[in-house]
Amino acid sequence: MKNAVKIFGFAILVTAFYSYVGQTVPQKITYPPESATLGADMSSAELAEAGETIISGKGTCLGCHTIGSGADPSSLRFPDLGGIGAAAATRVEGQDAVTYLAKALYEPNDFIAEGFLPGMPTINRPPIGLNDDEIKAVIAYLQTLGGEPTVTLVTDLGYTTEVSAAPTPGATAAVGSGLDGPGVFQTYLCGTCHNIDAAGALAGPSLYDVGSRLSNAEIYEAIMDPDATIADGFAGGVMPATLGATGFYTKISSEELRALVNYLSAQTGG
Amino acid sequence: MRDPLPQRLGESRYFWGLSRERLAVAGGLLAAAAAVLLLAPIEAFASAPQDAANPAYREFPVVGSRVIMWVTAELHLMFAAFVLAVPMFAVIIEIIGYVSGDKRYDALAYEFTKLLSVSFSFTASLGAMLTFLLVVLYPALTDYLMSIFSWTFFPYVALFFLEAIFLYSYYYGWGKFNPKTHIFLGIMLNLVGTGIMFIADAWLTFMNTPAGISETGELVSLSAAFMNPMWMPINIHRIIANIAFGGSVAAAYAAFQFLGAKTDEERAHYDWMGYIGNFIAIAALLPLPFAGYWLGKEIYAFSQSLGITLMGGTFSWLFIIQAILIGNLFLAANYYLWVSMERIEGAERFRPYIKYLLIVIAGCFLVWATPHSLVASVEEARKMGGAHHPVLGVLGVMSAKNTAVNILILTTFLSFLLYRRGNKAPTVSWAKAGNIAQIAIFVSVVVFVTFLGVYGYFVEASVRIGLSVPQVLSVIFCMIAVTTIDVFMYRNARVTGKIKWGQMSARSQYALFFIALTFAWTMGLMGYVRAGMRQHWHVYGVLEDTSVDAFTPTLGYASNVVSITVLIFFVFIAIVFWLAGLSGKKAWEPAVKAGGEPGEEGAE
Repeated sequence: MKNAVKIFGFAILVTAFYSYVGQTVPQKITYPPESATLGADMSSAELAEAGETIISGKGTCLGCHTIGSGADPSSLRFPDLGGIGAAAATRVEGQDAVTYLAKALYEPNDFIAEGFLPGMPTINRPPIGLNDDEIKAVIAYLQTLGGEPTVTLVTDLGYTTEVSAAPTPGATAAVGSGLDGPGVFQTYLCGTCHNIDAAGALAGPSLYDVGSRLSNAEIYEAIMDPDATIADGFAGGVMPATLGATGFYTKISSEELRALVNYLSAQTGG
Repeated sequence: MRDPLPQRLGESRYFWGLSRERLAVAGGLLAAAAAVLLLAPIEAFASAPQDAANPAYREFPVVGSRVIMWVTAELHLMFAAFVLAVPMFAVIIEIIGYVSGDKRYDALAYEFTKLLSVSFSFTASLGAMLTFLLVVLYPALTDYLMSIFSWTFFPYVALFFLEAIFLYSYYYGWGKFNPKTHIFLGIMLNLVGTGIMFIADAWLTFMNTPAGISETGELVSLSAAFMNPMWMPINIHRIIANIAFGGSVAAAYAAFQFLGAKTDEERAHYDWMGYIGNFIAIAALLPLPFAGYWLGKEIYAFSQSLGITLMGGTFSWLFIIQAILIGNLFLAANYYLWVSMERIEGAERFRPYIKYLLIVIAGCFLVWATPHSLVASVEEARKMGGAHHPVLGVLGVMSAKNTAVNILILTTFLSFLLYRRGNKAPTVSWAKAGNIAQIAIFVSVVVFVTFLGVYGYFVEASVRIGLSVPQVLSVIFCMIAVTTIDVFMYRNARVTGKIKWGQMSARSQYALFFIALTFAWTMGLMGYVRAGMRQHWHVYGVLEDTSVDAFTPTLGYASNVVSITVLIFFVFIAIVFWLAGLSGKKAWEPAVKAGGEPGEEGAE
C-alpha cells in the first residue's frame, strides 16, 4: 500500500510537471472565423480595409503567406505577397492584375510561382469557404500591396460560386432558435443589467459604446468568461451567476453567440 | 500456471475483509453516487434545447460535452492501445520460449497476458460509453458518420466477437492446448485486433481527411471514405505506438511488482520483466518518428492548410511540448539502461563513456526543444530583429531538429549496444574488423545526417522537406547493419560475468514509471492535436462545428485535460494490476480456532 501511495504521488508530480510545461508556451484561443460585413456601397478603399481583416481571419491566408517579410524566397514555403499589387499585372501575359488575382484565388493551382510547389486550397470552397464578395475584398486588399485598389463589389471577376441547393451536413448541424443579436440580448435579459441605449451604468457597465472599446474577441471573452476581465467599479462573479441562471451557457448556439457579438460590436455610441 | 479460483465466497459473511452489513452500507453509498451521476445528465439534458426536433448538440453538466467526450475517447484509446499491443509481444515472447525451450519466456508471456482480460473489459466499457456519449451529445455528427460508415459497423461487431473468443481462449487455454495451436490462437488474436483498429481508424481519419464524398457531403464511395489519405499512415503509426505504449505499461506493472516483491526470486523475475517491457517500448519508439514523418507528409499532401495549422500555425507550440516529452523518454530510457549496467559484471568498462552519451543526448534534446519563434515584447523583438532569436532561432528550424532527433535515436541505439555487450567478449577472429566496421558505419551516418542538416539551410523549402527521407533511411541502415554485425560477432561470445537480476535500485523502477507516464501523456497530447487540428470542423471542410465549444482552447487548458486523463488512466490501470495480482494469491480459507472451528475473521 505504501508503495502504491508513493507511486501515485510520483504520477501526480510527473503529470503536474507536464501540465506546467503546457502553461509555459504561448496561450491562444482560436475562435471560428467570422464572415465579414460588406456593404454594396463600399468604396475600393473600404473594401480593401475589409479584405485585410479577411486575409488574417477567415481567409487564413497568413497561415502560409507572408507580406513584405524581406526573407530570402528560397526559405519560404509559399510566396511572399509584398508588392503583389504591382507584380500581378506582369505575371501572365495578357492578364491584367485583377484577372490574375481572381484566377489565383479561384483556380490557385493554374499558375504556380517559380520555385514553389502547388498546395493552395480553393478558397471559395470549404474549409475556408470565402464568398464571392469576400474574395473581391481580398483582391482589393492585395491591390494595395504595391498599387491602388480598383475593385468594388460590382466588379465582375468572371467567377460565380454556386451555392448548392442540397442541404449540406454543415447546415443540418446548426443548433438553436435562430435568434438575431437583439433577440438574444432580449431573450437572455441582458438589458436588465446593461444599458444599451445610453452611457449610464446599471448593475453592470453600459454597452452603449462597447463596440468602440472592445474587439470582437474581447466581447466574446467578456460574455463566455465574464470574470476574466472585470470592469472597474463592478464585482466579479455577478454576471456568470445571473446570465447562467437564464440558461444562457447551456442553450446558446454558436450562431446566436456570433449574432450577439456582432450586435454588441455595432454599438459604438453613435 | 492456472489461476486458483477464489473458493466459497458465496458462503462467507465476509467479502474483501468487509462484513455483510458494512458491505451493504458501502454498496448503498456506491448506488447513491451512481444515481447522482446518472441522473445529473438527465437533468442537464432536460434543460437542453428541446424545441428543435433534432438538436445537433446536447450539453453535458459541469465539464461540458467536449471535455467528457475528450477524456472518454482518450481513455478508450489508451486501453485499446494496451489491449492491442500486449498480445503482439506476448505471442512473440511465447514463440521465443517455444523455439528456445526456455520456460521463463513462456511464464513471462503468460504474465503479460494476465493483464489483458480485465483491460479488455475496461476497453469495451469505455468504448460503449464513448458511443453513448456520441449519440446523446453529438447526434448530428453521429447521424452524419452513420450515413457514411454504417456498413462498416457489422464487420466491426463480428471482429469484436472474434476478438473476445480468441483473447479468452488464448488466456484460459494457456497450457491446455498444443503449443502450436496456442500460438495460432495468439496470432489470430493479433490479426483480429488489428482488423478492429483498422476499421475504427477509418472513422476517425475520415474526420480529418474526408474522401469518397460529394461536395455536399453525401457518400459516393465507401472504399474511398474508408481508405482516406490519413488512414494507412495512422494504422502504421498506431501499431508502432501501441507497442511502445503497451511495453511501457507492462514494464510499469513489473516495476510495481518489483517494489512490492518479498523474495529475491520475485525481484529477479520482475526485474527481468521490467527490462523486457522497457526494451519493447524503446525498440518501438525508435522507428516511431519515421512513421510520424509519413503521417505528416500525407496530411500536408491532403491539405497544406491542415498541415500548416498542425505544424506551423496554431499547434506549432504543441510540438515543442512534444519535443520535451520525447526528449524525456529518451533520457529516461538511456538512464534505465545505464543503471541496468550496474547489475552486469564486466559492464563497468563502459561507464566512462556514459557521460559523453549524456552530453550528446542533452545537446540533441535542447536543439529539438528549441522553438522556431519566441514570445517577445515589442522592445525585445526590435532588438532581435523579429520573433526569431539570432542564435537559437537557427536551431529551431526543421533542418536542425531532424538532425538532432536522428542523432538522438542513434545515441540510444549505442547505449543499448553497450548494455548488450556488458558481460560478453567476442570470440570470432574478425572481432576487431567488426568493431571497426561498426564504428565506421556510425561515424559515416552521423556525418551524413549532419551534412544534410546543414545543407538544408542553403536550399529552397521544396528541396529541404525531402532531405528528411535520406536522413531517416541512413539511420535505419545504420541500425540494421550494426545489429547484423553485432549478432554474428557475439555469437558464441565468452561470458565474462553474471547478470545479477533483481539487484536494481528503486530509482530505476521509478524510471520505468516515468517512461510509462510520459508515453501516456504523449499519447494524450498527440490524440488532442490529431482531433484539434480540424479546429471548428467535426469533419474537416464538410461538417462544421457550430456548438459553443467550436473554438480551439489554449495549450495550457489542453495540457490540464491530458494530465487529468493520464491520472484517471493510471488509477484504472492500477485496478488492472491489482486484479491481475490476485490471480497469484492463495484461495480464501476460514481461520481455524484452537478447537478446530472456523473463526470470525477470514484469512487471505
